[in-house]
Amino acid sequence: MTDKEPVYRVGIDVGGTFTDLVFTDTDRNVTLIHKVPTTPADPSVGAIAGLRDLCARHDLDPEAIDYVFHGTTIATNAVLENDGAETGMITSRGYRDILHIGRHQRPENYSIMQDIPWQDRPLVRRRDRVAVRERLAPPHGEVLEPLDENAVREAARAFKARGIEAICVCFLFSYIDPRHEERAREIVLEEYPEAFVTASAAVAPQFREFERFTTAAMNAFIGPRVRNYVRNFAAGLEQADCRADLHIMGSNGGIATAATIAERPVLTLLSGPAAGVLGGQWAAAADAGGRLITFDVGGTSADIGIVVDGRVSEATARDTWIGGYPVLVPMLDIATIGAGGGSIAHVDRGGAYRVGPQSAGSRPGPAAYGLGGDRPTVTDANLVLGRLDPANFLGGEMTLDVDAARRVIRRLAEQVRLDEPEAAEGVVTILNSNMANAIRMQTVQKGLDPRGFSLVALGGAGPLHAAEVAAMLDIPRVVVPPHPGITSAAGLLTTDLKYDAVKTAFQTSDSVDAAKLNADFAWLENALTAQFAADGFERGRVGLVRAGDLRYVGQGYELRVAFPDGPIDEAALAGVWQAFERQHRTEYGHVFADSPVEIVNIRLTGAAVMPKIGPPPPLGAGELDAARLRTGSCSFRVGGGLAAFDTPYYRRDAIPAGRPFAGPAVVVQRDTTTVVPPGWTAAAESNRNLILSHGA
Amino acid sequence: MADPLPASLHNVRRIDPVTASVIQGGLENIAVEMGHKLMRMSYSSIIRESEDFGAALIDPQGRQLCETPQSTPLQSGPIPGYVQGIQQIFAERGDSFEAGDVIIHNSAYHGASHGPDVAFCIPVFHERGLVGFSVTTAHHLDIGALSPGSCGIVDAMDAYAEGLQFKALKVYDRGALNGPLWQMLRDNIRASDLVVGDMEAQIAAARIGAERFVELIGSHGLDTVEAACDALMDHSERVMRMAIDALPDGVYRARTFIDGFLDDDDPSRGDLPIEVAVTVEGSDITVDFTGTAAQVPDRPINMPLKGTTDCAVWLTIRSILLDSAVHGHIPQNSGLTRPIEIVAPAGTLVNPVFPAPTIARFCTGNQAADTLMKALAQAVPRQVSAGVGNLHVVAFSGIRDETHWVHMEIHEGCYGGRYGKDGMDAVDTLYANTRNNPIEDVESHLPLRVHRYELRDDACPPGRWRGGIGSIREVEYLEDGGVSVEGEGHKYAPWGFAGGSDGRTAGLTFRRRDGASLDLPSKLPNMTARAGDRIVMTGPCGGGYGDPMARDPALVLEDVRDGLISAETARRDYGVAITGANTGAKTGAMAGAIAGGLAVDAAATADARQARRGGQAG
Repeated sequence: MTDKEPVYRVGIDVGGTFTDLVFTDTDRNVTLIHKVPTTPADPSVGAIAGLRDLCARHDLDPEAIDYVFHGTTIATNAVLENDGAETGMITSRGYRDILHIGRHQRPENYSIMQDIPWQDRPLVRRRDRVAVRERLAPPHGEVLEPLDENAVREAARAFKARGIEAICVCFLFSYIDPRHEERAREIVLEEYPEAFVTASAAVAPQFREFERFTTAAMNAFIGPRVRNYVRNFAAGLEQADCRADLHIMGSNGGIATAATIAERPVLTLLSGPAAGVLGGQWAAAADAGGRLITFDVGGTSADIGIVVDGRVSEATARDTWIGGYPVLVPMLDIATIGAGGGSIAHVDRGGAYRVGPQSAGSRPGPAAYGLGGDRPTVTDANLVLGRLDPANFLGGEMTLDVDAARRVIRRLAEQVRLDEPEAAEGVVTILNSNMANAIRMQTVQKGLDPRGFSLVALGGAGPLHAAEVAAMLDIPRVVVPPHPGITSAAGLLTTDLKYDAVKTAFQTSDSVDAAKLNADFAWLENALTAQFAADGFERGRVGLVRAGDLRYVGQGYELRVAFPDGPIDEAALAGVWQAFERQHRTEYGHVFADSPVEIVNIRLTGAAVMPKIGPPPPLGAGELDAARLRTGSCSFRVGGGLAAFDTPYYRRDAIPAGRPFAGPAVVVQRDTTTVVPPGWTAAAESNRNLILSHGA
Repeated sequence: MADPLPASLHNVRRIDPVTASVIQGGLENIAVEMGHKLMRMSYSSIIRESEDFGAALIDPQGRQLCETPQSTPLQSGPIPGYVQGIQQIFAERGDSFEAGDVIIHNSAYHGASHGPDVAFCIPVFHERGLVGFSVTTAHHLDIGALSPGSCGIVDAMDAYAEGLQFKALKVYDRGALNGPLWQMLRDNIRASDLVVGDMEAQIAAARIGAERFVELIGSHGLDTVEAACDALMDHSERVMRMAIDALPDGVYRARTFIDGFLDDDDPSRGDLPIEVAVTVEGSDITVDFTGTAAQVPDRPINMPLKGTTDCAVWLTIRSILLDSAVHGHIPQNSGLTRPIEIVAPAGTLVNPVFPAPTIARFCTGNQAADTLMKALAQAVPRQVSAGVGNLHVVAFSGIRDETHWVHMEIHEGCYGGRYGKDGMDAVDTLYANTRNNPIEDVESHLPLRVHRYELRDDACPPGRWRGGIGSIREVEYLEDGGVSVEGEGHKYAPWGFAGGSDGRTAGLTFRRRDGASLDLPSKLPNMTARAGDRIVMTGPCGGGYGDPMARDPALVLEDVRDGLISAETARRDYGVAITGANTGAKTGAMAGAIAGGLAVDAAATADARQARRGGQAG
């Protein structure tokens, strides 16, 4: 393949309700969008049907599609629904219950009746955890006790006899030397070739045994289901005459081959939200010098991602959790809170006014949906305030019931002893404040000043709240992409083939063994190069970026710091220590000047560039009046008081470029509604983004 | 139903509920940030891994406005007491709070939880003057006591033997560093680089809290923030009062014992009762410790009333009546404690008199919490667990390259059975909620090897819902060093409830390199350990809940399959007959792995249970 050939690519993002498809012809810069209902029993069915549909509607030859990029929650759902394979474990003798004891901490401080996920919903039950003799020791992996190969063989046979299809191999200190784990894996496969076998160091060669073992156990637990799903999806593509290579979005914000994901499904746990952040980043790439806060608000939750200098922040290894279990895999740093259009407003037992985290979801949904919902939600409040157009919701597919919304808000108003508009506006303000606090945690608390960022509003409810949330944080600028509701699918088409390699490699700044460090980086490079080679990319087409997880000696939390390319010598290290100190000051506001620094993990990220979705065709000029639907009454708080304003409603698809309009205004489109509060100005740019600015 | 709430909670509101909710979110956000930064910056594992630290904002009246959720309850809970203690000392000394001050405080008789839990307190000023305090606390590795570490100092004979006492001293005075004080501190503390680093982290986190609090006041106005804080505390009080009001009025009593010093020549230092009488009257609750053992005047297991006893009470009542798994998040502030009165006679374990030592009061406090739960079990039997297994705090230490290393590890306990649920296995308990240290971290950084870490074998306390299972940890010294321990529960097992069996006691064994084995008491002053010696920590098992004969046989079968109990135990303790078990099948490392084919023999089980019931009736 050369870069000149036409490249047809399809992004397919499966959400809870809808499956979004985006087709792009990178050569002619044509982009097509399609939306079909999700088929929860096997999401690949709906996805393939959608693809056939899309091709038929636009007279595309499925055979001409080169790539299919897929964002899936199949692995996430398997974890959240506790619906994975019966999993066996082979572990070091003396440590059978590491998965059960965990870090001996209760999830809740103030609770007797709480559940502990790893005890109440174990990924591997105790009967399926077999402890065999073997033991390595730090720092170099000295063998204290050789592997009892017979015991491994016996365990594999027992698992096979009992039909346990997934097995994880988890030994202490395997991150230093994986030989015992690898040998055990070989033996298991000799006895039981059809088993899904995961070795802990192969998924997460990092110290902290509970977290690494849990990651491996989770990989095994979800492995067979994801492997089947990927096979079904690939088979479905073939049946649809599509010969494209299937790639799947990883939590690290890159795509991986279907074969890689079938081996290491744990890499996809945050696939959906990651695509959303990338989509937001792509849409607003040029804004605020690449400093963006992506703000993706749906019915039940809000996802917040941070982009600095064009790069999406990654979570540190100690902050990555799913369903209450820790997982040591590279993930974009996405904060999720229970806040969305379906969030329920209520007065708690003590009389305080609360919004969320409970959500009415899409069924029964807000009272305004008329599907039986009888609790006041954020959507009901927005409708009562006039910020949603009852006749123009989901492109008119659904009519909102204003009276039903008003009834539930009135009841709420009585409970909080406020009048109706105040109560409704209170719902929105409390929700906005919760979301602003979540953004503060991701920015202010990490030493980033949100005032220098643009807020990118995504999801069905993001643009409804973005301007007011931005105002709470003194963010002057909000970017609303052309299709905020399908940004995840578009995001799939903006990424690269990306793999991470990580290795725990303790070294301290007062006695660095540079030869070992260079050897460790070389080891990572070999591992990554092999991975890319397996996907058909030779070394020259892969960009490699080094980093390390560092801390002051004695600390327990690491900070991510870039490492230079080339041989690491004293000068290079001096730069690394300085970068660490800067990072420490930024994040915590403090440095320990005389303390030595410890390298904990080293990391290498490889990316092979893929062709990207192009910019949308430029938006034409025209008159704003053509976009005007009607004028209605809409309530906003200005200078402390709540007042109703005559507010124009615009059709997003008719707004011309370069015609600014002042708030208050409401902009409706099929997949979202944008609110422009008083004091804000909106203007469509030629790249089809709607820009909301404040105090300009 | 009569309104349970006092008139003060029906006052005309001074703030609208929306703003109150927004300010509450703002305050909690500040506390989260303080805790986050402190934990991530700190050096010693007792802070960063065990999360034995606290952070809170306090108002000028000494009331807590918010606390970090990422702390152990025994750290943030006492912070109002620290501030009140500082205020008291300042008043006595004629000292005043100034902008730029940073105050160090750890006096157990002035609000501190115990000496190693050092607070750094920053007075916060806004236009009109003092508007509150930003405070962090943390358990420090060493505070200059008679032996290394800050736990297991079980032979400290008075408050002076416990290490340095900081009574509301300014380490920064109007922004100027108090150099001699820091030097004195460094000169008298082991592993001082680590300790001072942690203290710097505490100050940095407290400064962030102060800065953010001023910003919050700046954006809402002081009057609004004050009104919101009053509303928040009233809200929390109201929630707690409603929960108390739902309890049947009455007096509920319970008594448990702690080991104390069982190996001591003086018998008055062992077998010490903790006695609780809970009186519920409307929406008020009184917890009376009258009848509890007298203080041990020269051994440090006494608990300061303010800082430990009160926290144990608050934590227990809150966890039972406002269980967060049931009620969701409830804002933590001083309003929650208003309906609770504590009666603790002076000169007892729960309210010692200066200079009685207090440094090793940790397990006593957890036992007080457990005793209180035993009393409340009579009022709300479906909201409690049976007896909780207490903890051991172990200090490993040694000298390497002429500097001390100290490593503190809490060996976990577990919970008793609960209504509808088995007990939580191998967790930290009650007012402690720390984290263990990964074996891979310990062995990579310390001359220690962890040979075993798993659940105890065949040690399930029977009950309809069984007690939690304790763990075993076996640690070898790779170089010469020392060990000291403060623990509990070697003699008294956690209580069974409603027909459930009592739990299992804990134990400590020292296995010398030459094979000699020595059973240790739950309190161990610093003892030399040689390379090759091992210490084996055996955690307790919690009490069973309900009649074991009523346990679902399917659950008993699961426990056999999981190798937690043997088939023989299933028959003996539960009257459940398991078929397909190998005769001689044991529990332990391999058992259960090839556990296919096991089943319950329903007929034999019915017979066995019938016979047991008949036997009981006769």
